[in-house]
Amino acid sequence: MQVPKDPAILRWSAVALIFATGLLNIYYGNSYAGFFENLWYAMGAIYVFTAAVIAANFEPRFAQPTVFGYAIFLFVLWATTALGTGAGLDTVAYVDKAIEALLVVNMALLIRNSRRPGTLS
Amino acid sequence: MTQSTTRQWSTEKLLLVIGMIAIVAGIAIGTSVGYAVRYEAPTTRTFYLFNSSLNFDEELWGVSHDTFSPDRITVNKADKVVIIYRNIEDKNEDHTFTMDAPYKFDAVVHVGRNETTPVVSSAPDLTSVNLHQNQTAVISFTASWGGVFQYRCIYHYPTMTGYLVVLG
Repeated sequence: MQVPKDPAILRWSAVALIFATGLLNIYYGNSYAGFFENLWYAMGAIYVFTAAVIAANFEPRFAQPTVFGYAIFLFVLWATTALGTGAGLDTVAYVDKAIEALLVVNMALLIRNSRRPGTLS
Repeated sequence: MTQSTTRQWSTEKLLLVIGMIAIVAGIAIGTSVGYAVRYEAPTTRTFYLFNSSLNFDEELWGVSHDTFSPDRITVNKADKVVIIYRNIEDKNEDHTFTMDAPYKFDAVVHVGRNETTPVVSSAPDLTSVNLHQNQTAVISFTASWGGVFQYRCIYHYPTMTGYLVVLG
C-alpha cells in the first residue's frame, strides 16, 4: 500500500479522523445515557478542539504527539473499561474505536513526516 | 526534560515513549473505572417480612398453607440486614424466624403491630425468634458469608421457607 508522503495530506486526513471521532464520541454520550455520558462529551469536545489545533498547524511538534498519545490512551481506556464492565461493546463504539485506530496510524505517519529535516508541517 | 533533549530523540523513540505512557495510563485508569463501577459499599438494607397464607385446605393437601412474603432476600456481602418481621395472623397462631448456620441475628420483639410498640424481649446472637399473633420483631445481622441460606418457620416447615441470597 502506498503511504502518503505529503504532510499536508496526512494532516488533513488526521483532521478529518479526529473530527469524526469527536462527533461520534459526542453522539455516543448523547445516545447512550447511563454510563459516563459526560465523559464521552468531554472526550468528544477535546477531539473537536484538537482537530482545530491540528488543522491550524499550531505548535505541531507538541500538538501532534499529544493527539497521538491521547488517541492511544482513549483506545486502551475503552478496551480496559469495556472488558472490566461489559459496557461500551456496541456498533457505535466499535466504529468509533476503528476510526481511532486509524487515527493513531495516521498521526504516527504525520509525526514521522513532520519531523523530517526541512519539513515545515 | 529540556527542549534540546527532545530534539535529539528519534521519531520512533518519541512515538514509542508516548505510546507506552498512553497505554499504561489507559490501563491504569480503565481498571480503576471498572473497579469503581462494580464496587458497591456495604449498606444497611431493610426488608419487611410477613407470614402469608395460600388459599387451600391444609388437611386435604397434607402440608401447611403458610408461607413467607417475601421468600427471597438478596443482599451484598458485608451489608447490614434489617428485617422487620410481622405476624399478621388473623387467628392465634405463632410463627418463627429461624436461620441456617452460620448466621445468627439480634432480635427485638415488640408487643404490637409495629416497631414503635413496647419491647417484649431483646436478645443478641439468636438462631430463632418466636412471634405471637400481631407481634413485630426487628431482626438485624451483618451478611458476613456469601451464599444462599434458608430462613424458615419451624411450625410451618417446609412451605414457610425463604432464602437469604448473599452476593459476593
